[in-house]
Amino acid sequence: MPQKNIDFGRFGAQGIKGSDAVARKLNELAGGIATPVTAKRGWMARLHYLTKSPQTLKAAQDAGLTVTHRTLKAWLEGKRRPSKTNLERIDQAYRTVRRHNVARHLLKRLNRDGRGTRVEIHPLNQSQVPQPLQRVVEYRTMNVRRWDRIVGSWAAGDHQSLDAAWQDTIVDLGSQWGQYEYVTNVGFAA
Amino acid sequence: MSDFDAIDSLLDAVGPQAELPPGHVRRELRERARLSKAQVARALGVSPSTLSGWENGRDPSGEIRTKYAYLLDGLNTKLATATTTETAPAAEQPVTSSTAPTATPLSSPDLCQDDDADDVERLVVPEPCVLCGLPAGQRVAGFAQHLTPADCRPTATKAPTAVLAPPAGQPTAQTPKTPPRTPRTTRATERSKGPARHAFQEPSGPVDQIREAVQGALAEHGGDVDAATTALVKRAIPDAMRLLDETRKGARYDVIAHPWIPDILKKQTARGSDQIWEARPKWTRHELPPGRHQVTALDINGAYLSALKTHLPLGRLEHSTSQPHDRRRSGVHLITPPEWEHEAVLPNPIGQRDEPGPLWITEPTLRLLLRLSGPKHQLCAPPQIHESYTSGATENLLEKFRIALKDARDTAIEQGDTVTLEYVKAMYSKFVSTMGESNYNRELYRPDWMHLIRSQAFANLWLKALKAHDEGLAVVRAMGTDELHVIGDWRRVFAEGRGVTEVKVKNTYTTGSDTAQHTGEGE
Repeated sequence: MPQKNIDFGRFGAQGIKGSDAVARKLNELAGGIATPVTAKRGWMARLHYLTKSPQTLKAAQDAGLTVTHRTLKAWLEGKRRPSKTNLERIDQAYRTVRRHNVARHLLKRLNRDGRGTRVEIHPLNQSQVPQPLQRVVEYRTMNVRRWDRIVGSWAAGDHQSLDAAWQDTIVDLGSQWGQYEYVTNVGFAA
Repeated sequence: MSDFDAIDSLLDAVGPQAELPPGHVRRELRERARLSKAQVARALGVSPSTLSGWENGRDPSGEIRTKYAYLLDGLNTKLATATTTETAPAAEQPVTSSTAPTATPLSSPDLCQDDDADDVERLVVPEPCVLCGLPAGQRVAGFAQHLTPADCRPTATKAPTAVLAPPAGQPTAQTPKTPPRTPRTTRATERSKGPARHAFQEPSGPVDQIREAVQGALAEHGGDVDAATTALVKRAIPDAMRLLDETRKGARYDVIAHPWIPDILKKQTARGSDQIWEARPKWTRHELPPGRHQVTALDINGAYLSALKTHLPLGRLEHSTSQPHDRRRSGVHLITPPEWEHEAVLPNPIGQRDEPGPLWITEPTLRLLLRLSGPKHQLCAPPQIHESYTSGATENLLEKFRIALKDARDTAIEQGDTVTLEYVKAMYSKFVSTMGESNYNRELYRPDWMHLIRSQAFANLWLKALKAHDEGLAVVRAMGTDELHVIGDWRRVFAEGRGVTEVKVKNTYTTGSDTAQHTGEGE
């Protein structure tokens, strides 16, 4: 790491990890059911999504929705309500399956047949840093051509490999890339 | 070549309206053909209730009227041939014989010409002749064509002044047809020079991009204006983004599309709105001056197009508290609005606000308030600014984009080119409405710009109201983005026309102290 980012925020800088910003943006682009899982409409919609076909049901079971078919049937018929733990499981499974399903299309749109997507990197917020310690960190843009690793690790929910993939990407920014490990926002369209 | 086709079909559309039989005949025709209302309505693209309205005496207008006339005409000919060939087994269709005479005048109102061939049909809507391509009023054996060689001319010859002797019932398109190819090319080259004031413009500018898109769409749809317009409107958003990129070539500032956005600019729920107050005017004068008056409803042309020129924040919005207004920055501000004491004659510049207390307003509204509180106007006290999210601003960010669209619009109006006009309109209006948190345009995520541009349009309208008031007109109503109702001789205040600096008349109506009577096209 070329910059001293180990103790980030010690002097008052504010920001989030670049990879987290990327994951946030990808989640936004993936969309999904907006109603919270705690509302009946919300968990019902998620359950319908997860039980649409044997394949999605299998994926949901792999993602941690380990309940019997009897229970699922009772939920879907409205005879019983999932418990709080099970609501969390449903939500978790929904997000995993949804990400997995969307990833393929998202990847295609981001790669754009090798032309890639323009990414805006908004630098960290130094407004709370004492004046003598502030550094000039500019707003940067870059074109990212290969999204396979980024989207792949995001779809798998693997934060570490997403972070590694994003770092390997921002190295292209040049010798200052370490300044962009923490950012306020990463923006791109798909 | 294709934009001349657009003009031609526009010219075709102007003319007398298609003749329709009376309401009960329309219903009879449909019922005899055993078509349900829903089927017919679907084919025409209207709702079944609209169709029953038409069958009960109401009349459609415009393009849909032509379609409806075409349908009724087709039904009539079908049924007429069916009755003549089948020799009517009398018991089955007793209605036919009685209604046929009432219906026939629809399709052939003028049998004065010599159509001796039995399969010659008269067309209510002229179709292009299979031989020369010009609209023909007859169809022979299923092909639309002219009956006499004098009418039917290939395009290379001189354009005939009157293609057909216009029969009485012929509804549309007896206009002289297009000039042939040679004049077209010369005119096209004249036009490609562009407006004379852009002497040093490079050959493929943004305006050419718009023109190429229009020509491409027209060529793709074979000169069908409606289809081309629909296709162009559909791709207006990506095209506007492309145009924006084109106009920012070599520019000083980047268009930053995905900055960090403060929470006040985020939608609170999926269908809700954010906390910004755009100061949309919605004001009607409470008490008119005594007596009866002629009120003119004026329409401001291209309000959002003009509003693209506003102070737009470039980068990330930064928070600040209780500082004096900085003219080089722009953004959103939390203010306590001043009291407004001129409600009787002028709308409140912050719009119809029901709730009291501080509110988030945008830069154009704040600048308007500051201007009105200044020494020149002194209409209200200065607003009190509590908090701001601002960034360094420029008025020129979308300027080239705006000029390109305005030039295209002006040229389109001059040449009567509806396709380009609709396309340009869709581009700027959709650009503004989707530049925020919209899934239709993910390339630009600037809710702040969207609010600023809209507020600028409202502020522009407000200033027009003030101008009218200062010039002695009575402002009756200021509504939405572009509607201003005034009493008095407005022509000495505003220029009339279709340009963005001019206004056009929506309608006029007279209103008095007690009764209001509309004589225009309605609200």
